[in-house]
Amino acid sequence: MNMVQPLSRQAIYVVLLRELKRYWRARARIIGAVAQSFFFLTLFGLGFSGFIGGFGNVKYLSYLAPGVIGMGLLSGAMFSGVSVVFDRQFGFMKEMLIAPVSRTSVILGKILGGSITSSIPGIILMTIAGLMGAFKPTLILMIGALAAVGVMFLITAGFVGLGVAIGSVLNDFHAFQLLTTFVMWPLFMLSGAFFPIDVAPFPLQVASFCNPLFYGVELLRWCLLGTGTALLGSFGWLIALGALAAFTSLMIAIGSYLFSKAQI
Amino acid sequence: MKRISIIEVKELTKVFDNNIRAVDGISFTVKKGEILGFLGPNGAGKTTTLNMLATLLRPTSGTASINGYDILKEPDGVRRSIGYVFQDPTLDLELTGRENLDFHGRIYGLERDVRQQRIREMLDTVNLADRADDFVNTYSGGMKRRLEIARGLLHYPKVLFLDEPTLGLDPQTRRAIWEQIQRLNQEESVTIILTTHYTEEADYLCDRIQIIDFGKIVALDTPNKLKARLEGDIVSLTFKTPQHARQIQQMLENKEWIRRIDKVANGNHYVSIHPNIQKIQRSRRDERADGMASNMSYVQASGAEKFSKDMLGADNKNVQHESKRLNLLVDNGGSRVPEIVKLIHGTEIILESVEIHKPTLDDVFLTVTGRNIRQEQGSFMDTVRRHRIIRHARGQRGKR
Ligand SMILES: Nc1ncnc2c1ncn2[C@@H]1O[C@H](COP(=O)(O)OP(=O)(O)OP(=O)(O)O)[C@@H](O)[C@H]1O
Ligand SMILES: [Mg+2]
Repeated sequence: MNMVQPLSRQAIYVVLLRELKRYWRARARIIGAVAQSFFFLTLFGLGFSGFIGGFGNVKYLSYLAPGVIGMGLLSGAMFSGVSVVFDRQFGFMKEMLIAPVSRTSVILGKILGGSITSSIPGIILMTIAGLMGAFKPTLILMIGALAAVGVMFLITAGFVGLGVAIGSVLNDFHAFQLLTTFVMWPLFMLSGAFFPIDVAPFPLQVASFCNPLFYGVELLRWCLLGTGTALLGSFGWLIALGALAAFTSLMIAIGSYLFSKAQI
Repeated sequence: MKRISIIEVKELTKVFDNNIRAVDGISFTVKKGEILGFLGPNGAGKTTTLNMLATLLRPTSGTASINGYDILKEPDGVRRSIGYVFQDPTLDLELTGRENLDFHGRIYGLERDVRQQRIREMLDTVNLADRADDFVNTYSGGMKRRLEIARGLLHYPKVLFLDEPTLGLDPQTRRAIWEQIQRLNQEESVTIILTTHYTEEADYLCDRIQIIDFGKIVALDTPNKLKARLEGDIVSLTFKTPQHARQIQQMLENKEWIRRIDKVANGNHYVSIHPNIQKIQRSRRDERADGMASNMSYVQASGAEKFSKDMLGADNKNVQHESKRLNLLVDNGGSRVPEIVKLIHGTEIILESVEIHKPTLDDVFLTVTGRNIRQEQGSFMDTVRRHRIIRHARGQRGKR
């Protein structure tokens, strides 16, 4: 109906600001999000390292940390994206849908806001993992950590986009339980978060190569540990970056498109 | 000024995916500065009509123009021209009242100074200035509704849609909101369409009332003219059993002093979440879709009795499905009561109560739709949603 409208800076800003304000005012939730990942990290990281030790010259805690960060990013971003359904039916978004602004601006604000808010627990967790000694404290790590933050934004933007796409098509709240089981868990389990896919059977490897989160976790590992899976070679980070960027752009495009088509 | 029409609706129709014909070819115009009321029971199609006018839903057929913009071809012009206070609450509870308004103003492109000035002005108008910086989740239902009305008008719209502005609010709050709506209508010279299923509200506020039932307009007139359709008194008789009511109806039918007799379906018997109801509604709609009985006379003829039987179905035998009440429209109601009593005297019919009143819009509604407006008959989800809104509205009552 209104695909040719220009982007509205105010609309992007308002949606973004709303996301941030709401997030900040409910900041107790951050603790919950971080705590969950933290338990994973300590229980598995410290627990398994006793008999796994590590992979190559990377100890298990270090190997696991980027994966657990990735898991937090995935669930935070997906739920943030899917929440457009609730916004659309019960509130704020309905307001936006009758405003004279393009829906693309609205959804860009949403994706931006969702990406920032769901990256925050990731950044906190990265710091905690660093304090636990997961990453070698070098000067390069400083740059690596900054790059990792960038990667987090990229990962979350993509998955917020995916969430928005799903939320624009689905209207049934019950369907969202299926989302966790059939989308989030497979993505997580096949991301190489727990074990390197180098040693996994071939079909599993193929599945991982189709998984955007795999590239995200790979990229975080390159940033924080300076190494990645042998399967992608020594320029694995470049391949991962390309794949992730492609995924994220595609998801933003699909999410915006489906949202602009959605009726209430 | 008053004569120019600002909203023109032509044959607007919406058929949902599930084949529910929610709005069925309605046409009407609204003049500049007018307050038009949509009066109709749950599921009549009021909200669906507003959603189409507001460009939120695409009509299945037909179109409309608002402030000169076509809702299909120029949705942006329409969006700039309207404010919409939704039936479901849409405030952001985790933001303050002022922030809610500020965000709205930004989206509509109001410059900073204008925006802040206008926000102060609207907060004053709806008497919320002193609570503006509190979070909305600490507001009472009435305060939330007033804030939504302020927000709907913030960007100087030409047309305001108010979907059930006072649903679930107590009488004092309701009256306060009515007065504010009236004032805004005059001061901002904004044209208003409001929906309601409170006849008092429509009577008090509206220049004209449009009664909608099953997606069709069954009456459109000023409140006074609608009431004038029923001149005289309503004598309302309640009998011990429906059989008694039926018997007396036969006895009264040929009395020339009775202008009309209506059987009153008593809403209390109909459990509003009965699963058959949605099905029946749908099949009735489909009947109409087939053109079998798509005119007004069907609505009138069908009457309360048929409807109640339909609705309750066979699996509900223990529930009474016929009315015990008759409404008679007569001149000089009081003087007719002895005659009725005499008629009953000597028969086994037991008259339980007699009540005489001047016709109200409720009675008009009853005669044009064959049903009591108070009677809930929406789908299960409608009922759930309604309760949610009412709960929401009553939520923080103590803080009003
Ligand atoms: N999105 C939808 N999909 C399918 N059916 C719908 C949808 N929205 C509304 N309906 C149906 O359309 C009919 C009209 O609904 P609408 O909400 O317009 O009624 P209403 O007059 O506003 O009622 P209420 O007084 O309960 O608000 C109802 O039967 C409803 O169940
Ligand atoms: Mg409605």
